[in-house]
Amino acid sequence: MKRSLRFYLALFFAKGTARVMKLVGRKGTSMPGSWAIILCPDFLGRMPRPKTVIGITGTNGKTTVSNLVEDVLTQCDYDFVCNRAGTNVATGVASSLIANSTLLGKPKKDLAVFELDERSSPRILPFLKPDILLVTNLFRDSYKRNAHVEFIQDILNTYIPDSTRLVLNADDLLCASLKPDNRRVFFGIDPLPGEKTGLPNIVQDVRTCPHCGEPLEWDLRRYHHVGRAHCPRCGFSSPQPKYRVTALDKRHSRMTTQGVEGPQEFTLPNTSLINVYNALSAVSLLAEFGLTKDRIAQCMERLTIVESRYNEEEVGGRKLILHLAKGQNPIACSQACGNARQYPGKKAVLLFLDDAHDAAHSVENTSWLYDTDFELLNDPSVVQVVTAGPRHWDSYVRLLMAGIPQERLAHEEDPLEAAQLLELTQPDAVFVLYDLYSVDLSKQVKAKLHERLGTVPPKERVSQEEEGAGDEN
Amino acid sequence: MKIEILYPHHCNLFGDLSNMDYLKKCLPQAQFVETHLNQEPLFVREKVDMVYLGPMTERTQELVLERLRPYKDRLWELVGQNTLFLFTGNALELMGEYIVKDDGSRINCLGIFPLYAKRDMMHRHNSIFLGSFQGQPVMGFKSQFTMAFPKSKDLELFPVEKGVGLNKKCSFEGIRHGNFFGTYLLGPILLLNPPFTRHLLQCLGAGDVPLALEEEVQAAYEKRLADFKAKA
Repeated sequence: MKRSLRFYLALFFAKGTARVMKLVGRKGTSMPGSWAIILCPDFLGRMPRPKTVIGITGTNGKTTVSNLVEDVLTQCDYDFVCNRAGTNVATGVASSLIANSTLLGKPKKDLAVFELDERSSPRILPFLKPDILLVTNLFRDSYKRNAHVEFIQDILNTYIPDSTRLVLNADDLLCASLKPDNRRVFFGIDPLPGEKTGLPNIVQDVRTCPHCGEPLEWDLRRYHHVGRAHCPRCGFSSPQPKYRVTALDKRHSRMTTQGVEGPQEFTLPNTSLINVYNALSAVSLLAEFGLTKDRIAQCMERLTIVESRYNEEEVGGRKLILHLAKGQNPIACSQACGNARQYPGKKAVLLFLDDAHDAAHSVENTSWLYDTDFELLNDPSVVQVVTAGPRHWDSYVRLLMAGIPQERLAHEEDPLEAAQLLELTQPDAVFVLYDLYSVDLSKQVKAKLHERLGTVPPKERVSQEEEGAGDEN
Repeated sequence: MKIEILYPHHCNLFGDLSNMDYLKKCLPQAQFVETHLNQEPLFVREKVDMVYLGPMTERTQELVLERLRPYKDRLWELVGQNTLFLFTGNALELMGEYIVKDDGSRINCLGIFPLYAKRDMMHRHNSIFLGSFQGQPVMGFKSQFTMAFPKSKDLELFPVEKGVGLNKKCSFEGIRHGNFFGTYLLGPILLLNPPFTRHLLQCLGAGDVPLALEEEVQAAYEKRLADFKAKA
């Protein structure tokens, strides 16, 4: 698209807005991009793009993977623009491009790495035309925004440009079937020694063969619809990945991958299955971008997960674990429940999963609670579950429906008061599962629990050799 | 007592099967039968006491229509015999005359009730709903691409108090004909609405059987109702 007078007006106004925002000390805002798109609706199509654009999308893990990829590229001395400090929708991408441009809009940097909201694809992908696009996975997400996975799959199939090279999850058949005519590579995790079928999940969005409709046979189902499957009738099967995890050493936080250049070991910031997929997808994307496996491995030695997503510390011999669970996202929340269950020792769990934004303006749709595997918390090792938030009665009923004995449950509207209801002498670990909109509140709850844990008699730590740390999405 | 759940693997987008899980707790003696897409429905060959169908994707809607089309007359017969039906989300559209797609083309439905639906895949409708059933409040959540247009007010299920009915101008949400209940309200509507659930249990011939988790479900209902009244 040509640059029009309207485009330049929008660009200058957006740059002026960015300058004002900087002067008043506000960083990472998407306001310049919002103004640019309001003034020139096809702004992204007219804005010159950097020479190379990498996109990272998918339902879960895209923030973590984007951070990993950006950290590796930074360590490799790449100079690039990204939307890490802003938002992953069209206005955030536009703001980043504006910040990275000269007065007349020419890109200052040749490389861009953007985390992209999959629901926003129609407003971004046809204009940005990523050279490489990583899709981490496709799952149910917010019913209000994302409807259902078929809808998101259709959006991606419609708006991913034919020229975009794809890096896809071979172990997720919804993801693997995107844009079949595009150039593509797959990543996946081999069945690992001793690996068993995953815990049962309520939601499993792939059950039948996409070609003939016959029920699929699962060679290995890890969680929800992630795993390896084949069709007994027509021969359809999960694709063979180019990048494969062939071994996982949880004790030393390392994975071994097999790619075109032979085997390579990588350090993992977190060894939960979800984060192994996240790390593998980052490695696959970086390799496709052109980095050598040795260089990627060297950079990954120093990477960590952002603290606001997963934080673990020890107080008086007990673990205090803050774990982002993403309300209204039943898959991410189920993973968090699974991680709490699988953590060694006895656990107490505090949930505050209500959407604070919804609570302020409306009544939150609580249907997602019934797609979330709270049944995973119905385990003898989970000695107490306390639920909090405006919909605490609804989540309490949900926990009862999950079969958790009433004597192990408590509920209270205020999360800080709910933290008081936790019995802290018995558990070896206290999990706080919180929604994305409650990050600040989670810090207050953490401070309160920290103080309380400091007053109970110390406990000897349980061995954590068998299991790795938790997960975030 | 036999309760048939139609296509549970495919017609369960928003935690809707929790309704059947709840009925299982309320009616521990009842037999629940799951029918999958490649199977003939149980209601074809024997009398069942209830048939449940939940919301589905748009492509699945067409698939399910083709599965049910051969049994249109049998469905009409069962409706006439006052068999209890609960169809939630876009499942209710299948019982209407047709669905108009974005491009203007039509999908012919079973034609059992006089209504049609219109899809708008570019605009998802999200809202909260407060209405009533036999004088008792009913509430729920709506999240959908379609609106339904009934041709008769006789189909009224829940009169609207706050929120949107079958379409933005319709004064009621859901359709009812005898013991056929269809509503766009999503998710665990039986857990969210104990008075409505009590009525369905009576339709099933269960009498005044107590609800499972009655105290807790009722307390949650009252707390939520206060919120709906304040915010809907």
